[in-house]
Amino acid sequence: MKKISVKVLYELKKKDLSLTLITNPDTMQGEITTSFLNRPGLALTGYFERFDYNRIQILGETEISYLQSLKEEDLYNNVKETLVYDIPAIIITKGLTIPKQIEFLANEMKIPIFSSRLSTDKLFNSLRIFLQSFFAQSKTIHGTLIDVFGVGILLTGKSGIGKSECALELVERGQRLITDDVVKITSKEDILVGSATNNYGHFMEVRGIGLIDVAKMFGIQAVRIKKRIDVQIELMPWKDNMDYERIGLSNNNVEILGNSIPIIYLPISPGKNIAVIVEVVAMNHISKLFGYDAAKEYTDKLQEDLKRKAKIREKHIADKG
Amino acid sequence: MIRKKIKIVNKLGMHARPATLIVKTATKFRSEFKIIKSDMEINGKSIMGVMTLAAEFGSELELVADGVDEKFLIKEITELFAAKFGED
Repeated sequence: MKKISVKVLYELKKKDLSLTLITNPDTMQGEITTSFLNRPGLALTGYFERFDYNRIQILGETEISYLQSLKEEDLYNNVKETLVYDIPAIIITKGLTIPKQIEFLANEMKIPIFSSRLSTDKLFNSLRIFLQSFFAQSKTIHGTLIDVFGVGILLTGKSGIGKSECALELVERGQRLITDDVVKITSKEDILVGSATNNYGHFMEVRGIGLIDVAKMFGIQAVRIKKRIDVQIELMPWKDNMDYERIGLSNNNVEILGNSIPIIYLPISPGKNIAVIVEVVAMNHISKLFGYDAAKEYTDKLQEDLKRKAKIREKHIADKG
Repeated sequence: MIRKKIKIVNKLGMHARPATLIVKTATKFRSEFKIIKSDMEINGKSIMGVMTLAAEFGSELELVADGVDEKFLIKEITELFAAKFGED
């Protein structure tokens, strides 16, 4: 389980979120373990069922004006009851001032309170985006990622099967390379994003030649930094008895970091132009997104034809009889 | 399948020459070969993969071999590491 300490988060984001620490520095002890945020409105009224205390608590104008409307004694008790929970951090938005008792209690309970000049909405958004990318699941896999007509194609397959050579040919045909050999995949919301694991640039190994710099050789238009992954193509040596897809009605999917994407098992043999086939896969994918499925279209036509012919035959027999 | 933890003991770390040595050695064998460094897992038979690890002096790697000749693969790779890839 990933986590980030409140101290580190403060150091990283204090400028972007214009944060200042109101409580004593020694209150920054906790850790954040989730990308979710919480507005503790109901908790402040004394309702603690399902109180998500382990999230960062955001107090906006609504909460602060509610607290200010309370009698001093109620305010003290309500806040104290809330701060008994192990809250990692509290952020007050819009630079609002909070009643002194809250600051006193927070120092006492060792819960840090920050003040941000941002509006609640802005703070919520930018903190969520930061935490989500921090807590996003990621993994590295052996493969090549290339943008073909805007479709992110992940080429996989055994070492030496020709992933890099295929990518090179695609680049020559005007497609764009993201990374060769090692792809870092991050799961964002419900999409997968692939990129290189380092920022050395777009280098590639071509057997027999060595390393080449794709961006230098083919120009900046031949590369990009990251891309959503839409389809995986697994290159595999041709086997005579293997059951390859012939019509295209059944769709295979592969699960990566909890996201499912289509996978195509592509048999390769000498003399076959893989780059063209990869382009066809990409175009077919776009076609399907637009609602046109060639395999379905053809088989539907065939079925209609069969029905029509059967009817004619039936009629023919009936006429004869 | 064999897993083995190993430390980089040559001062220069895993630069191009040791990476090439590892890949050349590993490709002699039929077993699958992976190298893991923290959350990165790469194909040990790919030169870009091995260099992508950017494994510095003192860092720890995990070797994973799977196949008919896994024992021999791990043995030869371990010897390369121990010999500091002929450096220092």
